[in-house]
Parts: sequence; C-alpha cells; structure tokens
Amino acid sequence: MNSPFQYIRKSLSRKLSLWIVLFAAVIFNVALGFMFTQSLKAVREEAISRATKELDNTVLRVTSLLDRVEIATNNTDWLVTRHLNTPDSMFVYSRRILQNNPDLNGCSIAFEPYYFRDRGRYFSAYSFNDNGTILTTQEGNDHYEYFYMDWYQTAKLLDRPVWTEPFFDFNPDDIYSKEMIASFCKPLKDNAGEYIGTISVDMSLKWLSETISAVKPYPNSYSIMIGEGGTFFVHPDPQKLLYQTIFTETLAVPDPEVSALGHAMLNGEEGMRELEMDGVDSYVFYKPLGDTGWSVAIVCPESDIFGGYQHLRRIVLFIVIIGLLLMFFVFSRVVTSELKPLMLLADQTDTIAKGSFDQLLPEDKRTDEIGRLNHSFIGMQKSLRKYIDQLQETTATKASIESELKVASTIQVSMLPRIFPPFPERKDIDLYANMKPAKEVGGDLFDFFLRDEKLFFIIGDVSGKGVPAAMLMAVTHSLFRAASAHESDPAIIIRNINETVCPDNSSSMFVTIFLGVLDLPTGHLRYCNAGHDSPLLLNGGVTELKCLPNLPVGILADMKFVTQECDLTYGTTLFLYTDGLNEAMNKDYEQFGMERVTELLKPCAEQEMGPRQVLEHVLDGVRDFVQDAEQSDDLTMLALRYTPGEFATILSERLTLSCDLARVPELNDFIMSIAEKLGMDAPTSAQVQLAVEEAVVNVMNYAYPDGRKGFVTIKAMSDGHELRIVVIDSGTAFDPTKKEKADVTLSFEDRPIGGLGIFLVREIMDSINYERTDNRNILTMIKNIK
Amino acid sequence: MSYARIPRCFKDHPLKPFFVKKLILFVLFFSAAAVAMAQERFVFTPQWTAQAQFAGYYVAQEQGFYRDAGLEVEIVHPSLTQSAMSRIRRNESQATTLQLCQAMEIIDSGIPMVNILQTSMNNAMVIVSRRGVDPLTQKGARVGIWSAGFGQLAICMSIKDGLDYEWIRFANNVNLFIKGAIDATLAMSYNEYYQLVQAGYEVTDTNVYRFCDHGYNVQEDGVYMTREYYNKHKEQARKFAEASRRGWEWAAEHPEETLDIVMKYVEENHIATNRVMQDLMLKDILRLQTDRESGEREFRLRPDMVKMASDLMVEYMMIDKEVTYEQLTEE
Repeated sequence: MNSPFQYIRKSLSRKLSLWIVLFAAVIFNVALGFMFTQSLKAVREEAISRATKELDNTVLRVTSLLDRVEIATNNTDWLVTRHLNTPDSMFVYSRRILQNNPDLNGCSIAFEPYYFRDRGRYFSAYSFNDNGTILTTQEGNDHYEYFYMDWYQTAKLLDRPVWTEPFFDFNPDDIYSKEMIASFCKPLKDNAGEYIGTISVDMSLKWLSETISAVKPYPNSYSIMIGEGGTFFVHPDPQKLLYQTIFTETLAVPDPEVSALGHAMLNGEEGMRELEMDGVDSYVFYKPLGDTGWSVAIVCPESDIFGGYQHLRRIVLFIVIIGLLLMFFVFSRVVTSELKPLMLLADQTDTIAKGSFDQLLPEDKRTDEIGRLNHSFIGMQKSLRKYIDQLQETTATKASIESELKVASTIQVSMLPRIFPPFPERKDIDLYANMKPAKEVGGDLFDFFLRDEKLFFIIGDVSGKGVPAAMLMAVTHSLFRAASAHESDPAIIIRNINETVCPDNSSSMFVTIFLGVLDLPTGHLRYCNAGHDSPLLLNGGVTELKCLPNLPVGILADMKFVTQECDLTYGTTLFLYTDGLNEAMNKDYEQFGMERVTELLKPCAEQEMGPRQVLEHVLDGVRDFVQDAEQSDDLTMLALRYTPGEFATILSERLTLSCDLARVPELNDFIMSIAEKLGMDAPTSAQVQLAVEEAVVNVMNYAYPDGRKGFVTIKAMSDGHELRIVVIDSGTAFDPTKKEKADVTLSFEDRPIGGLGIFLVREIMDSINYERTDNRNILTMIKNIK
Repeated sequence: MSYARIPRCFKDHPLKPFFVKKLILFVLFFSAAAVAMAQERFVFTPQWTAQAQFAGYYVAQEQGFYRDAGLEVEIVHPSLTQSAMSRIRRNESQATTLQLCQAMEIIDSGIPMVNILQTSMNNAMVIVSRRGVDPLTQKGARVGIWSAGFGQLAICMSIKDGLDYEWIRFANNVNLFIKGAIDATLAMSYNEYYQLVQAGYEVTDTNVYRFCDHGYNVQEDGVYMTREYYNKHKEQARKFAEASRRGWEWAAEHPEETLDIVMKYVEENHIATNRVMQDLMLKDILRLQTDRESGEREFRLRPDMVKMASDLMVEYMMIDKEVTYEQLTEE
C-alpha cells in the first residue's frame, strides 16, 4: 500500500501541482489573513460604535423620562414646604402631580410620625392612578408603617433626592404578570432646613423596560438593566428578571469576568467588555442610567456581531479550498497532459533500452523543452541506430575475418609439417617441431624436408604478427621450398629468397631465418643465419652454434649471405627457436631470457632426450614462467637429433678408371661381378649396371673439360640389404642432383646433354646423394637389393 | 386588562402583596372555616415568606410525614395583614416558628408559648459593615435592624459593648445598606448575608461580625404554639413536632430533592429569589441545626442557652423578668 507521500512523490505532475497549490495556499493565507484581520477590526469597531450609539441613545431617552419625574417632583415639593400649615393640601399636591403627569403611577407626600400632631402618628398623602382614575388616600397605618419603608428612609438617611431600587407589583388576576415600579424620593425640609418627611413619585418602569428591551442592534442581542444590588430589572429571561442578580450564578459557578462586569456596572462605569454570558461569547456594552445607580447593558453575541463576517469568511475559505483543490486537479491534469509526450518518450526509451532499436519515437511538433528533448531523442536514436548498424557490420566483418583467419590459420598449419616423427623409417634422424602463434595466424615458420640424403630445415620469424606476418611467412615458406628444390647451399637459398622478397617489400617487413642442410650420410651441416637467434647444440652440454649474424631477409636486396659449416657427431641435438621463447613475458613483463632457456635445456642434454621430449620440456618451463599472461609473440621451436647408424659391410670393392670411354666395359664387368656376388637377379643387375655406367660416363665426358687427364673411382659396398655405389672424381664441381628431371616429352635430339642420364640414375636407384669434399665430387647411389 | 394598583402600603412589605379582594375572601374563608375545621386541620404558619429556612416542614408535607402521623396539615405563610403571631393569636394557625428571643419577648408580654420543636442549635445573626470596616469600631453607626422584631441580641450587644448603634428599622431587604443609607446592617447568615453577596457585596472576616463567635450563640428557630392550645392538643403537638423533625432529617439526607420542594413553594408564592440562593440558605440552615459541641442535630432547647438569652434580655431590659426553660417547654 503506497502512502499518500509516495503517491505524490511518484508523479512529477502531482509534485509540481502540490508545490504550486501549497505556494498559492501560503499567498492566499497571508492575503486572506490580512484581509480577515482588517475586516475583523473594522467589524469590531463598527459594532462598538453602533452598540455604543444605541446605548447612548437609549440611556438618553430613559434619562429624559426620569428627568421628567424629577422635574415634576421638584415642581411640587416647594409647594409642600410652603403649605405645611395645611396638611390636607398635601392630598391636592399629590393628586395634582398625577393629574399633570398621567403616566406616573403614584405619589406620596409622607411626613415624620406625629409631624402633624393632630393627625396622629401616620400622615402620608398618597394618590395613585388606577387605570386613569386617580385615587387619593392617607396610607399610613399600623400595618404599613411607611416611615420604615426604603423609599422613605433612603431619602431621609441620604439627605438627598434618590431613586429607589425598582420593585414590582403583582396583578393577581393575571396571576403572574408583574409591573415594575420605581420611586423618585426627595427629602422634605421645613424652613429651618429640618427634615420633615419624604415626597415620593412612583413611575411604572414598563415603558423604560420596553424601551431598553427594544434595543437590539443584532438579532440575538439583548439588553439588561441592573439595580444597585445587581438585580436584573430588565432581562429577557423571566427566570432571571427580578429573581437573580448579575452575581447569582457566579455564586454557584465562579465567573470572574461576569463578576467584574457586575462590579463595573455597580460602580457606575461605562464601557465594553468581551466575555462569556450564559455560555455565549459576547460583547457587553454598559453605561449607568443617570444618577439612579442603575446600569444598562447591551449584550451582543459575538456570533451576531461577526456573523456576517464569519459567514463571508466561511464562503471565502470554502471558495479558496475548493479553488485550491480545483487548482491542484487542473494543474495535475495540465502538467500530466504536458508531460504525456515525456511519459511516452520514457516508455519508448525504455523499450529502446531493452534492445528494440527500431521502436519509432513519436515526432513531436512542439517547440518547447519537451519538443527539443523529443528531437534530441529521435536524433540520438538515429545515431544509435546508425552506430548499431555499423557495429553489426563491423562485427560481421570481424566475424568473417575471424573465420577467414581461422581458415588461414588452418592453411598455415597445414603448410607446415604436421606429422611427427616425419621420417619413421630412418634411424639416423629424429625431428620434432611446433609453432604456437600469438594470434590466429603466426609470423613464425619452420619447415624441413629430405632430398638426396640431405635434410633441409629452416626456422624463421617474420617481423610483426598477425595476418601480414603470416602472409610474409607463407611467402618465405614457399620461396624456401622452391629455392631448395635444386640448391643445397643455404646461403644461395637464402639469397634467392631475399632477392624475391625485397623488391615487393613495400611494407618494410623482414624475416629472420636460420637455414640448415644436413648431409645425413656424413653428418656434415651447412647452414646460413639471416639475423636469427643462434641455435643451440645439445651434446652432453648446451652450446651455441657459432653463427654469423647477417641481416634478416627483406632488408637489402643484394645482401651477401654466407654459408657456415660444421659436423654433427652422433647423438647431437640441434635446438632451433624463435624469439617467442627467450622473450616470452610473464605478468610482470619480465622476459624468459636465454639463461632460463639454457638452464631448461641442460637436463635434456644430459639425459639425451628425444626432440619431442625436449620441446615438451621447454614448453612446460615456459608455461610455468608465463602463467596466465597473454602470449606476446609467436613461439616456434624445432629440435633434430642426429644418430647415424653403422654400415655392416659384407662386400667392399673398388675400381679406378681413367676417364676414357674405352674403359667402360671394365666398369660393366665390375658391376656384374658385384651383382653376381650379391646374388642379384639379372634385370636388377642390368639396371644397376646401366645407372652406374650413365654416372661414370657422365664424369668421363664432363668432369675434366680442359683436356686434363682424370680418373674416376667406383666403390661398391653392401651390407647384404643395399648396394652402395660411390662415384668419386676430382674434376669440376658438378652436382647432378641439381639437374631438373629430364623432359622426356622432348625428342631425343632436343634433350640437353646428360639430362637423360641422371634421370635414368634416379629412376633406377633408390637414392642418390652428392657431396663435394676435398675438391672431389662424390656421388653416392643406393639400391635396395632385398 | 384590569391592572390592579396595589396600595402603596403593601409594596415594600416583606410579605407577599395580596390583592385586597382576594385577601378579604381569604380572611372570610378562614373565619368561617376555621372553627368548623379546627379539630381536623392543623395550620402551620412559618414566620416568614416561603424559603429554605422552612424546608423541613415543606418536606414533611410533601413527603406525607404529617399525613402518616394522622395530621392534616396546611402550611399557610403569613400575609401582609396577618403576621404569623397575629394568626396564632386569632387561632387561625396552630403553630408557627419563632426565634428563641422572640418567643421570650412574647411570653414576657403575657402570651405563654410552648416550644414543641427546636430546630436551630446556633445563632445565625451577623453584622455586616462596609468593606474593610470592623463593626466593632463603628461606635454610634447607623445599623439596619428588622422592623419585624428580630435582633434582640444585637441590641443587647450594642449596649453591652458600648457601641451605641443607631438602629434603623428596615422592612425586608438590604436595599438601605446597598444604597449607602446606613453604615452597617444586621443580617441572617442564611438570608440577608447571601443577599449582600448576591448584590456583589464583598464580605470578609473584617467587615462581618458573627454573634455566635462572640458569646452570643443563642438558639434561634423553634416551633411554638400557645400554651393554651398546647395543653388541649399535646398529642397533636407531639405528632406535628415528630413529623416535622422527620422532615428536617430527610431534608438533611436529601438536600437536592429538598431544594426541589423548596423551589416549588417559592414559585407558588412568587418569591423573588432563585435556586442558587435557596441552595445556600438550605445548607446554612442545616449547618445551624447541628450543635457545635455535640456535632449532632439535637432538636432540643438547650437550657444553658435559654438561661443566657434570658439573662441578657433581662439585663438590657428587653424583657421584664426571666423566662425560664420550663416556661418554654412542657413544664
């Protein structure tokens, strides 16, 4: 369940509207508060002025009535004091007052006991108005000792004119109707200034009461009048009228405010008080009624005075609250509607963010911030779309390249020898190699092959990595194969490669190469180094093969490369590698280094490990060193171990002939006798005879071109399994193995000299080998005889 | 509407103003009926207008205690022309209430009276002076006194303490004092005293003198009948006293209901008072009924108080000779 707070927080429109409405509420509050305060003040002042005016008017009217009574009394009392010698005239005077003032109720002219000795203890001339009929009587008697009455005694004791406290008469016919009477009493004095009695004029307070009660400045306001004893002489509540004083209820439940009002009124003060009268908050305006000692008050309920104001305030507040709510509602709606595109945008952006890049954003025609935002989003989406397309394209391209690279890698790997051991039938040579490219395709190469009892091998490292390097590597590999097909001198082979690579090397790439040609029958190694690391020789210990540095291939087209030579002894392992080995790096960018390589190889040399074991041992060592670090360069290694076998001779014969074709029959006999000794069949014997004759005739014809007399020696050896025939001469160096195969499609006449001969030799014999040693050409031909 | 003007002589009378014609009819009725019904009916007239001062009798009437006692009691308040004592003298009423000193005065004047029930155990009279003025310092001051004839003790005290008050007789209210026409006034603690309070008058320990606290604690209200009547109707008197006492005891236990009954009488008699005043009066009357020493409602005359009152009144010549406890009681 969301709290209202959360409900508002979740919506910008609600938040915004609430802020606006709150702000408006504050402004309204301040403005209305000021207005209300001012109006309240004005209403209050108006009420005070109004009530005070009414009170003043009322008091004035009532006082003028009371004044009339006083004047009437004053107009009579001097007559009384002038006619004290005629007591009966008092009846006339008392009667005349009533006759002259029909609204007066009665008049007593009363004297001290025994004042008129002849009239006894009581003499009070009393007239009263009985519904227009004026009755006159002497009122004093034993039951009514008037001289103890308040009206009589008050004037006497105070020695001044005075109004009595109002009192009331009952009308027994009406059971409970009552009329209030008040008397104006004035002491009578004789000529000597001695008190002789009291003249008292009664007046019904009916009119006064009505006049005061009628003062009603507000619908629920009412007037009261209290006497000197606090008694209510005018009050709308009959329970209180005459029965209670203003203090009565404060005796039961103390009410200091009402008590204070009562005292103020009794003290003849004039003013206004705010207090609670009979449970109603009221404004009470009070004023004394002349010299009577009575006090009149108007009680105005606050709700009356401020009724209109409160009503207005309620309406205004209602309008404001409704207005604010409406405002909130309308603002919410307007802002929601204004923000609708934003919501839509948010939703659609969400959708886009989830990957639906094709989601169409609505085109907004507005020019405000939201419109701009919309345009920006559309622009962003377009850019994003474009970017994604490009990315997809690139990714696809990359994938395609990757797949091509995979193919290239496969091709590259397939170009290199993959089958190990490569020469399982041979006991004199064991070889193992591998290449571990840093990327899909490598820039390293290695290769080897056997030709005419010679092992051609190469290891190289193209500058750079990746595809370009692989390309150059492929080129180099192909050139190696091509160049070494008919050439056995490493320097020449490298030179050929270099000459081909250099002119087209626009990308300034180069390749370091170590190329070796090992003559298997003799263990004689010819090699040429083109800027590559020197191979290591493992022969009990680890030594470096002495190499001239030379420049790598691909730098100088006319670079002269030099062939070096050495002989491998039995059991020697030649270890070739690229810089991916010694420069292999671990995570701390520390290189593996030659020292570690040498250390690794020492046990291999001591234990006379085979090439495969050596390589695996080295790889393990490198892996331990590199750990998880990414391979930084291609790593290629090649190891070959030379173990020539013993030839167990059962037949060894030789024949030396001068280079004279006439001696050829001797050669034939020699071969036939050998064949006979070895028990060879006739066709084989004939073929071997033909091959040897071709080789020897070739020497006889071409070895000594300057006419110099020369010799040719033919050695025949057999171990029972094969027949080895070695043709030795000291003539011009000539390597028949270099000759390309004879083109047998040509006519006999068109064939070059000797070309067919060596073709025959190759065809007949199982293997041939040429070596030039000590300025002698040594051609070895081998035929398996069993 | 015939609005009857009441002769002026009635206006300020303490008693309820009655219309003359009605009054005559009333008197005629009683004159004729009184003789015929005297045997059956018992008229009780309290000495003042209807107020809580007589609550016990109203209660006894309203709760049927009189009826239970086999009495047919009628409570008739005194009228303008007939004070309670004048009714007693004419045998129009059989019993009334009197203050002890009043009763002594009456006996001393030659009308033997018998106290058949004493309700008050304490004196309620006070002198109230203007604010801040101690009544005892106002030598020769004009002091209001009831024209109806209470205040014997005050007169004794004024002489005894050498205060020489000038007594101004007033009819029934405190208007003279309020108007400032007199310096001080006598008041009953349950009536005029509260009228002054109700008029906003400030009463303090300084300006109020309580007789009960200055060696004048003389019992006040009791129910009296003439000895002549009493001697013939002892059983009736006993029953009335018994039922009245029961009424007072009930009133003490049920002040709120009692107040309701009082207000009923007040309203019937159009007395210009109110419930608040009657409540205060009832409480004070009940307080006065408890003897200070025993702390109980004893309903008896105390011989010591009788003696004290009699001695004082004799000494200050309020009465000619001693009125004894025995004279007041059944003898």
